[in-house]
Amino acid sequence: MTHERVLAACLGLEIVLFTIIGSNFLTLANAGEIVRASAEVGLLAIALTPVILTGGIDLSVGSLLALCAVVFGIASREAGWPIALAAVAAIATGVAAGSLNAALVSRLGVPPLIVTLGTFSLFRGLAEAATAGVRNYSNFPAGFLFLGQGTIGFFPAQAPVLVMVAVGFWLLVHRTTVGRTLMAIGFSTDGARYAGVPVGRRVGAVYVLSGLCAGVASLLYVARLGQAKADAGTGFELMAITAVVLGGTSIFGGRGSVGGTLLGLATLAVLQNGLRLADLPAELAGVVTAALLLAALGANRLFEGRNRG
Amino acid sequence: MMTHRRELSVAAAYAALLAALWFIAPSFFQPANLRDVLVAAAPLLVAGVGMTLVILTRQIDISIGSQFAICAVVAGLLAKDGLAMPIAAAGAVAAGVALGALNGALVAAIGLPSIVVTLATMVGLREALRWTTGGEWVQDLPAGFQWIGLGQSAGRAGIVVAAAIVWAVVAWALRHVAAGRAVYATGSDAEAARLAGMRPRLVVFGVFVLMGALTGLAAVLSAIQFIDVQTNAGAGFELRVIAAVVVGGTSIAGGRGSLAGSLVGVLLLATAGPALVFLGAEAHWDRALQGAIVLAAVAIDSVRGARL
Amino acid sequence: MTLLRVRDLSKAFGGVHALRNVSLDLAAGEIHALIGENGAGKSTLVRILTGALAPDSGTIEIDGREVNGAGPARMRALGVAPIYQQPALFPDLTVAENLAVGLEPARLWRLVSWRERRRRAREMLARVGADIGVDAPARTLRMAEQQLVEIARALGAEARVVLMDEPTASLTDRETARLFELVRDLRARRIGIIYISHRLQEIAALADRVSVLRDGELVATRRRSETSGDELVRLMVGRELRAIFPERTVASGDVVLETEKLTCRASGIADVTFQVRAGEILGFAGLVGAGRTELAHVLFGLTPRDSGTVRLRGGAVRVGSPADAVRLGFAYVPEDRRRHGVVGEMTVAANTTLASLRAISRAGFLDFDAERAIATTYVKRFAIRARSIDAPVETLSGGNQQKVALARWLATRPQVLILDEPTQGVDVAAKAEIHDLIGELATQGLAILLISSELPEILGMSDRVAVMRSGRIAGIVDRVAATEESILALALGHASSDGGAASRS
Repeated sequence: MTHERVLAACLGLEIVLFTIIGSNFLTLANAGEIVRASAEVGLLAIALTPVILTGGIDLSVGSLLALCAVVFGIASREAGWPIALAAVAAIATGVAAGSLNAALVSRLGVPPLIVTLGTFSLFRGLAEAATAGVRNYSNFPAGFLFLGQGTIGFFPAQAPVLVMVAVGFWLLVHRTTVGRTLMAIGFSTDGARYAGVPVGRRVGAVYVLSGLCAGVASLLYVARLGQAKADAGTGFELMAITAVVLGGTSIFGGRGSVGGTLLGLATLAVLQNGLRLADLPAELAGVVTAALLLAALGANRLFEGRNRG
Repeated sequence: MMTHRRELSVAAAYAALLAALWFIAPSFFQPANLRDVLVAAAPLLVAGVGMTLVILTRQIDISIGSQFAICAVVAGLLAKDGLAMPIAAAGAVAAGVALGALNGALVAAIGLPSIVVTLATMVGLREALRWTTGGEWVQDLPAGFQWIGLGQSAGRAGIVVAAAIVWAVVAWALRHVAAGRAVYATGSDAEAARLAGMRPRLVVFGVFVLMGALTGLAAVLSAIQFIDVQTNAGAGFELRVIAAVVVGGTSIAGGRGSLAGSLVGVLLLATAGPALVFLGAEAHWDRALQGAIVLAAVAIDSVRGARL
Repeated sequence: MTLLRVRDLSKAFGGVHALRNVSLDLAAGEIHALIGENGAGKSTLVRILTGALAPDSGTIEIDGREVNGAGPARMRALGVAPIYQQPALFPDLTVAENLAVGLEPARLWRLVSWRERRRRAREMLARVGADIGVDAPARTLRMAEQQLVEIARALGAEARVVLMDEPTASLTDRETARLFELVRDLRARRIGIIYISHRLQEIAALADRVSVLRDGELVATRRRSETSGDELVRLMVGRELRAIFPERTVASGDVVLETEKLTCRASGIADVTFQVRAGEILGFAGLVGAGRTELAHVLFGLTPRDSGTVRLRGGAVRVGSPADAVRLGFAYVPEDRRRHGVVGEMTVAANTTLASLRAISRAGFLDFDAERAIATTYVKRFAIRARSIDAPVETLSGGNQQKVALARWLATRPQVLILDEPTQGVDVAAKAEIHDLIGELATQGLAILLISSELPEILGMSDRVAVMRSGRIAGIVDRVAATEESILALALGHASSDGGAASRS
């Protein structure tokens, strides 16, 4: 009776429920809509998984998405750079910002909660400063907007990106030596160090990766909405963290999976989408999410308690 | 004095900021402006008092923004129903107590990690509020709502005084009541505290309840400055409060910190925003500056070898 | 007047007897020293006396009345106060507050008077002659000062029986002298003191009576005036080497590891010089706190060295971190198995390969088949008893966990293997298996440093024995010449009157 199986059952229940009470829920087009709407949060959540696995956290990903989006907007609409170059700038911003988090956490040893609390304000603050709080970049070329609004056959254009990132992270966390060391660090940082794991380097790396993904997510965001503003991605970090914890990754580190995160993400995305199609208030999603999260935690604790005897 | 080195550092930083303002933009010190800064800082201080205690016990509460909104709406609705302002305010505080008790029960009684519990209650409460109010602001409030009917200047003074009193009372209690000392002991070493008979779980429950009550009060102090109540009030409030407490020297690891430090932290962050404008910078640098202050504070702590 | 009496106290941990029918008594105004090697049962006795541990059988009497089954709170109320090696104060609370804890009623809604607290604290500290500011946070105090605070607290709680467990382990000579004065003062107040120490000079200076624990049994109680250092050493040791250790031919390959004047002030080790050859087992003996584990940490890159050289096969090396150490060919099986030796929540297979991930990977990707193969090989070779290689290590017994730890390091094919208390908390059968393994490894050419507090183990396994004392090497003794007495004498710094067989080599 693993966490993931229960979650999958929940997801199944949701799907059945919304097929019944929602209009046009169980269609390919709607599935595509779900993917499209959750792609950016999905990228953030996937990248957040190794961060939380090492026992850390990153509250700054939503703000970083905004900063990268604004950088993209400025580069392509104000400075006139070609789209590809502007995209590189956006992603580079993500990497640089992630490196700031990484340095403070692994070199200076500041608790990740506080570091990313500070950068949560700093990144969005820089985005606001750069846009004077009001500027909005739009009029992006159709080719670029396709990434967020177009379809490839049955799938939304974001799907390949999401799939690639998901597969990449899944491989990293569950199939590489690096992933193995991340879990060891999460279970026992000292134990990992005594085993010769370069703890500082590994921990730093996951924050850089998180920043990178925020950069990529910012591109999807701008392409989907057609605009780049400083308020982009507000609240995304909390949704991402919720998806990860709902998916079974322990907030204390060590235990967890990318697959679980994807399940958690799907559960939340289907919930939001289904409620909308069933003409139910959107707020119900938030309340149900909260309840699911608490239930997941409570169940884990119960299970743990029985295990420890 | 050595034990308060951290608080003195922050105070020194704040003094430096004030000094810079004194020389570069003395107009900052016009009474009207100072009053505005203090009034804006008041709710932050009241919540900061509660958050300091929460963090001292090695917990965290990121749901106070949602609690804030609910309490503000409760105050507005009660006033609209014709209840006298003191009762409406008490109702808001009571709502805060109930919400705090919810968090407290989940963390202290069941033992779930506070960061995820308060993440869940933050989202759940916010959405529940939006659902029941439909996002509509509470309007057509009786005239006695704004400034509790005291008028603008008396009202403003009252807000600042109320915040100061709350700070003073809790600061005194933290130092002179055994329960207050138990807060420090719990954060320093919960197991040792248990063995010494201090009931750390009760202490943790208590700080969450107090946090809720103080959030309710902060919501009232904020809401009465306007003629209607926004239902999205308090957005981002929790992070500003936590930032102020951390900048003020309270350690996220628990057991270390003080309300004096939090006071300076709140003042520093509440002043930084307006100061920007007076120093000639654009207002939209405010959030970036707040983030930079937090990072600078903890980075310096870390370099100096303090336990974070 | 007899304050405390224990009769036939016994305690076993999973088949291992920590205490066996121990009886002793303590009179008011007496300093009763308790000595014995590491693992002789002293700490277990203290924990039982403070109520932290319940004995399996036997009785405890205070003032002639039985107090069986009392917990820590009750024992404290009865006047039993422990002073541990590691003081247990609230690190962030001030000295005054720490002194108040346990002395004030536990009601939460009570007003606290700081003036009263500080006055009382100053009084309590004055009684022990401590010059410590009452407003300092406990974590800023040195070990010696924290200890004084604890003693002051014990006195304030009207303690009548004070249990001191290795109190001078972290003290300077001057602090030690002051502590002695304090202990004598306690005695003058008719307080009974049980004083646990390795240091024979201290026993000679302080004790009225001395009891010797050996292998969980109380072998003798003597009046200090009626015994000698030599006799005490003999009593501590006196056993035949019952255990059978693997036959070994002392190989002498090339020198693999060499250190010269290795010094690390922060860890307290100084001028450590020694060599280990391929196929050789160099035992490291010494008392707790002598610096052996600290030395291992420096060699393995966990703590940086201040000065001195480390040479691996002739070439000087700089070990900046454990990752460096592993790369260079060092392996370290640490003392704290649960926190550092294994990662309990991870599987047997994952633990086995954690230090040698490169060997089970292709281009960074894990080769699960290779991992299972390695894990299965070691499980078989070391006879590791586990449900499966996918079982979390924390479900294994202590001995099997240790074997997993050993397997992890052997999988890295090291040149130098440092073992820190490899059979601590391991049952007899597994101990023998581990000893055989260690012998085999030496035969295969590994250079092995064996840190152990069990003298039979050191003597049975080592080719030479380096004895450490106070962070330095007191002497390196050849296998032929090493006896328990000579080693213990070096470790204690006791110049035995019948001469030693110690030599510096």
